[in-house]
Amino acid sequence: MELVQSKNAIMRFLKLSFVGVVIFSVFSFTCLGLYMNNKSHEAFHKIGNIYLSGTSEQISKHFESVIQLRFNQVEGLVSVVSSEEWEQEDLYQELAYRANVRGFAYLALCAPDGTMETLSGKPIQPLNPEPFTQALVDGERRVAIGADEDGKQVVLFGVDANYPMPQGGASTGLVAAVPLEYITEFLSLDGEDQMMALCIVRNDGTFVIENDNMCLGDDSQRLPELLSPYPGAQDLTYRMEDFDQALENNQTYGAVVSVGGEEEKLYSVPLSNSEWNLISIMPNNQINDVLDTLNVQRTRFTVLACLSVLTLMILIFARYFQMSNAQIKELEKSRQEASAASKAKSEFLANMSHDIRTPMNAIVGMTAIATAHLDDLEQVKNCLRKIALSSKQLLGLINDVLDMSKVESGKMTMTAENISLKELFDGIVSIMQPQINAKGQHFEVHVDKVRTENVVCDGVRLNQVLLNLLSNATKYTPEGGRIQLSLWEEVSPKGDNFAQTHIMVTDNGMGMSPEFQEKIFEAYSRADSARTQKIEGTGLGMTITKYIVDAMGGTIQLQSQLGKGSQFHLTFDFEKAPVTEVNMVLPPWNMLVVDDDAFLCESTIEVLKTFGIHAEWTLSGEKAIEMAVERHNRGADYQIVLLDWKLPGMNGIQTARKLREHLHEEVPILLISAYDWSEFEAEAREAGINGFISKPLFKSTLFYNLRKYVNKEEAQEESPQQGAEFTGRRILLAEDNELNWEVAKELLSDLGAALEWAEDGKYCLEKFEASPAGFYDLILMDLRMPRMTGYEATAAIRKSAHPDAQKIPIIAMSADAFPEDVQRCLESGMNGHIAKPVDPEALAKQVERYWK
Amino acid sequence: MNLKECYLQFGGDYESVLGRLRREQLVEKFMLKFLEDKSFAQFEAAMASGNYEEGLRAVHTLKGVCQNLSFTALYESSNQVTQAMKNHDYAKAMEMAPRLSEDYHRLIQAVEDYRRSGEE
Repeated sequence: MELVQSKNAIMRFLKLSFVGVVIFSVFSFTCLGLYMNNKSHEAFHKIGNIYLSGTSEQISKHFESVIQLRFNQVEGLVSVVSSEEWEQEDLYQELAYRANVRGFAYLALCAPDGTMETLSGKPIQPLNPEPFTQALVDGERRVAIGADEDGKQVVLFGVDANYPMPQGGASTGLVAAVPLEYITEFLSLDGEDQMMALCIVRNDGTFVIENDNMCLGDDSQRLPELLSPYPGAQDLTYRMEDFDQALENNQTYGAVVSVGGEEEKLYSVPLSNSEWNLISIMPNNQINDVLDTLNVQRTRFTVLACLSVLTLMILIFARYFQMSNAQIKELEKSRQEASAASKAKSEFLANMSHDIRTPMNAIVGMTAIATAHLDDLEQVKNCLRKIALSSKQLLGLINDVLDMSKVESGKMTMTAENISLKELFDGIVSIMQPQINAKGQHFEVHVDKVRTENVVCDGVRLNQVLLNLLSNATKYTPEGGRIQLSLWEEVSPKGDNFAQTHIMVTDNGMGMSPEFQEKIFEAYSRADSARTQKIEGTGLGMTITKYIVDAMGGTIQLQSQLGKGSQFHLTFDFEKAPVTEVNMVLPPWNMLVVDDDAFLCESTIEVLKTFGIHAEWTLSGEKAIEMAVERHNRGADYQIVLLDWKLPGMNGIQTARKLREHLHEEVPILLISAYDWSEFEAEAREAGINGFISKPLFKSTLFYNLRKYVNKEEAQEESPQQGAEFTGRRILLAEDNELNWEVAKELLSDLGAALEWAEDGKYCLEKFEASPAGFYDLILMDLRMPRMTGYEATAAIRKSAHPDAQKIPIIAMSADAFPEDVQRCLESGMNGHIAKPVDPEALAKQVERYWK
Repeated sequence: MNLKECYLQFGGDYESVLGRLRREQLVEKFMLKFLEDKSFAQFEAAMASGNYEEGLRAVHTLKGVCQNLSFTALYESSNQVTQAMKNHDYAKAMEMAPRLSEDYHRLIQAVEDYRRSGEE
């Protein structure tokens, strides 16, 4: 609950802070955008104003300097041509000539009354004669607009000059003129791509030179009246009175005006030597366009930046949210796992204490009963038997728990040793038989296509696994059920040095529910329904089994159905153990195999074929008799019969009895069985059965059991033929202890061997060196002897110059049976090792190879 | 006291030894012969003089004899001493020596008793 609450709090905090950040960033970016817009607007207008006024002043300066230049030319003319030097006619010609040279198209003299005497070009007249004449009379320079007699506009430059007039009297000024284009072109007033438009007005506001680009409309009106204030202007609001006054007083003036509805900037500069003012008008929308583009771009970038910051924030938040969510889930999961595990452990402990208490109670109780009936031998025996049983059960439990603690601490290790699957299976079958027999269950062992009987693995652990699976199968299968153990081999994907071994344990017992199958390999779990309550166990067996199988690099697969049974399939890739190849060949007998299991028959026939034996098989005793009779009549009897003990209908012993009636007495009938035959051995022998072979039928099992019948005279007895092998053999025995020597001598002499005693290694070496070639057949060597140890003596013998130095078999005979001791023996040059007490059979097996 | 009871008394495995030697007379012969075996005396002498190598050899031989004659109890104690000595753990060997001695003398005592009962 706390976790959920804290999770909600975190969620709320995350959501709120997320919304807060979004709002804050939108707000701050908006403010920034607006503020920047405003500021840039202002800055642009300021720049526009500065530009406009600066440009206007520049143009006015330029204009003034151009006008000044012209005045200077006219004044120069006046100063050069003096009225005293020339006659009147010549004077006029001289003036006209010089004016022409200076580029004036017109020249005239102006009388004080304003009349104009033309000296050159067409007659000209100022448009507004009074102020012009008045200025000349006052001795000032004056520039003004005039027109010639054709109406073409010209610019007049008038300077003070005193020349005789043709009609008498003196002139008040000399007036030179150039066409109006001179100014308009020079000032580029009508340039079309110009950003600003220029025009010239008089002090009263009337136009001197207008400009069509201005689009003012009616140019007969005064300029101040044509303009009106722009409604949205923030400053420099236009007022007609201010503009008029500025024009009147020859002052500059600037304002924002509306021309044809457009926002424009107006700037006015007075021009000297005239009543003119230079007016410049610049459309504000050009600046505004630039500004707008800028604003749009900036706004776009601002929004973009805002969006990307937000996106980044969202991503970070989302990721963080995801991560914290995952973490919370993980936490929750591990908490649940931990609590489940601790629950399972406490349940396990409860079960365990119950499981331990039950046998303990039995032990305590039985001990008490036994004590009370000390004189009743039967009672005490019975009690002891039960105590032993309970102790065994308790020991099993404790072993499981210890194994489990090893598994949990990872300390269970596997050893690699050479084991024989045949011996392992023989052992398992003999261990399981009593349990299975007690419950009256059918037990089948199938061995098929096993080429590799010796493998490298941890035999003890593999044994443990199989016993666990089989005892489970017995436990959970009702009486009369069926339990099957199968073994087969396939080609290993790991290469030729490996054999893939499959082992399958199948029963037709109570089976498992799918839910339980999922957790069967988990620790401390048990099928805990009522039906299993009476079956003791810790529930650790399968966990340990799984762990061992995993540690061996194998797999375990489970198939089970409730009420139908279970099947465990183990697969291992075992390394093949090095094995001395025995040539497994037997005479080409005709054999009959009788078993109710067709599978077993076929695989046995396959194996027999590899020995060179021709065999037939059948499933029932009745059929077997038929076949034997048919053969007998043909005169081609079976030479050996393998007979299963448990057969449907007529059983093995009954069949054998019938077969004996038809078969020659010498034909061996062998009983094959997975059961302990001690119970029915007497009956079987009486029925004419010669021997027993225990299932599972490995290749080697069959070979060594059948080989006994190669020589038919010996077939009747199972006694070993080793006696014959020792007959006439001379053995040198190195042994420092007299008693040990005597025991060995007694044993081996019995078998027909002649023994000689060497008291230690040194004597042994000396005796061997002194013997003629081929004298001794074998040296038996004790290891720990005074003067010279067995190892040293062996090494010395092998190095000696004796002809048998390399050939003679030397077998160690020692109380030490540790692998490292055996290894050391082989290294020093011995051929084998047997442990004390001396066992003639084991010795015979060892020397068999060397005495061929 | 018969031979089987004697084996039972000193903790030996009569079935096993008879299985190997096959004849009761042989078992009896070797058992009585053990009274003359010097291994244990050699062991004690070697240990007393601190000659551990010789001690190990002697106790090892004793162990081998026990195996041959199925003197199970004495085999156990002699084997433990042998292992300890092999690992050069002489302190442990000395610690276990009294048990070995006890087992040895119990065996000797039993065999002596058996011989006497036979002579009577």
